[in-house]
Amino acid sequence: MERVLLVRYTEIHLKGLNRPYFERALVDNMKRSLRGLEPRIEREHGRIYVRGIAEENFGEALDRLTRVFGIHSISPAVAVDKDWETVVSAALELMEPMVSERPNATFKVLARRSDKRYFMNSDMINKELGGRVLDRFPTLSVDVHKPEIKLSVEIRDMAYIYCDEIPGPSGMPTGTAGKASLLISGGIDSPVAGYMMAKRGLTLSAVHFYSYPYTSVRARDKVVELTKLVSKYAGEIRLFLVPFTDIQMTIYEKCPSKETTVLMRRLMMRIAERIARSEGAMALITGESLGQVASQTLEALCVTNDAVSMPVFRPLIGFDKDEIMDIARRIGTYETSILPYEDCCTVFVPKHPVTKPKLDELRASEAAVDFSEMIEKAIENTELMIVR
Amino acid sequence: MIYFDNSATTACIPAAVEAAKKYMTERYFNPAAAYAPAVQLEKDVSSARAVIASNMGADPSELIFTSCGTESNNTAIFGSLKAMRGKGRVIISAVEHPSVYEAAMDLKEQGWDVRLAPVDITGKVLLNELSGLLSPDTRLVSCMHVNNESGAVNDIDAIYALIKRTAPECLLHVDGVQAFMREAPVRCDMYSVSGHKLHAPKGVGALYIRKGVHVKPYLLGGGQESGFRSGTTNAPSIMAFSAAVADYSEHRAEYREQILAVKKRLLSDLSRIRDVKLNGPDIDHAAAHILNVSFMGVRGEVLLNALSEKGLYVSTGSACAAHKRGRNRILNAMGITGERQDGAIRFSFSHFNTPDEADRAAALIEEQVNILRRFRRR
Repeated sequence: MERVLLVRYTEIHLKGLNRPYFERALVDNMKRSLRGLEPRIEREHGRIYVRGIAEENFGEALDRLTRVFGIHSISPAVAVDKDWETVVSAALELMEPMVSERPNATFKVLARRSDKRYFMNSDMINKELGGRVLDRFPTLSVDVHKPEIKLSVEIRDMAYIYCDEIPGPSGMPTGTAGKASLLISGGIDSPVAGYMMAKRGLTLSAVHFYSYPYTSVRARDKVVELTKLVSKYAGEIRLFLVPFTDIQMTIYEKCPSKETTVLMRRLMMRIAERIARSEGAMALITGESLGQVASQTLEALCVTNDAVSMPVFRPLIGFDKDEIMDIARRIGTYETSILPYEDCCTVFVPKHPVTKPKLDELRASEAAVDFSEMIEKAIENTELMIVR
Repeated sequence: MIYFDNSATTACIPAAVEAAKKYMTERYFNPAAAYAPAVQLEKDVSSARAVIASNMGADPSELIFTSCGTESNNTAIFGSLKAMRGKGRVIISAVEHPSVYEAAMDLKEQGWDVRLAPVDITGKVLLNELSGLLSPDTRLVSCMHVNNESGAVNDIDAIYALIKRTAPECLLHVDGVQAFMREAPVRCDMYSVSGHKLHAPKGVGALYIRKGVHVKPYLLGGGQESGFRSGTTNAPSIMAFSAAVADYSEHRAEYREQILAVKKRLLSDLSRIRDVKLNGPDIDHAAAHILNVSFMGVRGEVLLNALSEKGLYVSTGSACAAHKRGRNRILNAMGITGERQDGAIRFSFSHFNTPDEADRAAALIEEQVNILRRFRRR
């Protein structure tokens, strides 16, 4: 008897001739995620089998795989020889602990037979095995519609038996959709935005702006930590830390006060785009959500967009704050995001930011000051950190 | 570096370091052991206890060693109530340290009638308000001696007299962590102190329990500290604590004068800057080592970051972020809110500080405040 993790994947089957490419990428990502646990990963008939994980690492492997995009679900299974009595005794052994926990549970056997030469078909297996389970655990009862315990048996090269199906994060394997740069603050939204786009297969890099010396080392550590949390799903992230104080101060001194926030965002976008291009990224990602704050009204977003030529992905655009917070909690970034440190967006804030900025006015305000040297200097002093 | 955060913690004096080292490397025995050197060690700990107790105006038998101020406060509050029958009222001042406040909130959950005694704008408990709260079933009042944010000094003797007059059964616990050695000893039933606020290492504190007051132990085990606090005696830290107290006791007047000079200098330097408000009592009525001021129109945390970059270490009155304003429980209770709360900075001094440091600090602050005020919300 051998313990294996049986992994099902999602949308990849939709991809015609590209399918092997996506499957290979998924397997590679799984290997990377399971580094150190010495797995043997085999791909076969629309399934991926993870074998060779030591007993004590099984939980850890399962946990890591629930963060690999492209995985639909995972079942910890036992694989045994197809000999019928062996199958039955393995199935009963697997049921044992569940029955002792819930002696009066309902159950159903769900057999699948891809080895068509096997001497019983799926129906026969269901009936036979169901009978044997009832003989052994007479307090159980059968419910084929809504069973509490689903005993699955798959007859393939071996017999695979399992009861659990743990959901994966779904999505597309990271790295199959190209590269994009995430503008990451210290807040709740941007890590969620990064997570969501990585889920669609993007490789992420990240750009963070900080207002040294007015923001603290703790604020910076917080961003590194958030990036790390996202990287648990998205894989290694190249994080660029951009000093932004000079630009902010210049904006505040030389531009109309109500426009400062939008101007600041335009300049951030410009710098992020430059960094993104140098990284081979083709798009920017932000955590903006329509109407959430003054700089995220439709007018403000148009003005921000105007600063760059790359596409800007805003996966949270139609989400309420509550919905974003729910995802942040689920992916584990929320608690870090709410640590209360001043960040570059809160250090210098106007009291009455414009909510409906006019593009030509903003362009004019920006053109009135020569930012080019400051942008160059910020990029030159940008620090790169590899976060994994 | 200019370190103006001595209410957070202090540097160890060499005598304390030497004492700790000696009892870590040479006299490292367990004082509960039976052989001669261990017995000697037990005597050393006894003499340390005597040094600290005498500076509290207490008998050595009334002092137990703990691991920190928090443990002393928790032991005093939970331990004394546990020794009583039934439940009743517990009053704490509205500006207590979290180790008292959170303990009281826990009591509230357990069904105790917990009340907060209001303070004036300097952070000092209002005696008439406290008097109004004192009911016959009040079991415990916990009130700090010196407020760690504002430097306000409570009149503990008056509070003690008030309590014994209105509710004779009620106990008075005093968190003396910021006051010990800096203020004169007071009358109370329990008094908490901590080593690292007085140039001893972290990890040692003490609790005075007046003879006759019944306190149930918090930690059970080998019965050390007369059964009040089990756990192997932390001789190195206790000896260091005693060395630090002895030093402070010897130089008390001199240290106070030095500290006060630094504080006065800083305050006078800062008065050059416009729109600076003093939080807490006038300089003559406050604890000498704490100065809290608000720089109006500046956010304390932002200023702190900028100062820390220049090597000046201070503390904000408020853990505020833009979206978490007005959350400072202490300043709120004092009625210091809005811009004044946002801009609050606490400076706290030790005898290692000099007036020259105050001058340099003020220059740095003036520079940063002027920069930041250019960027205040318009």
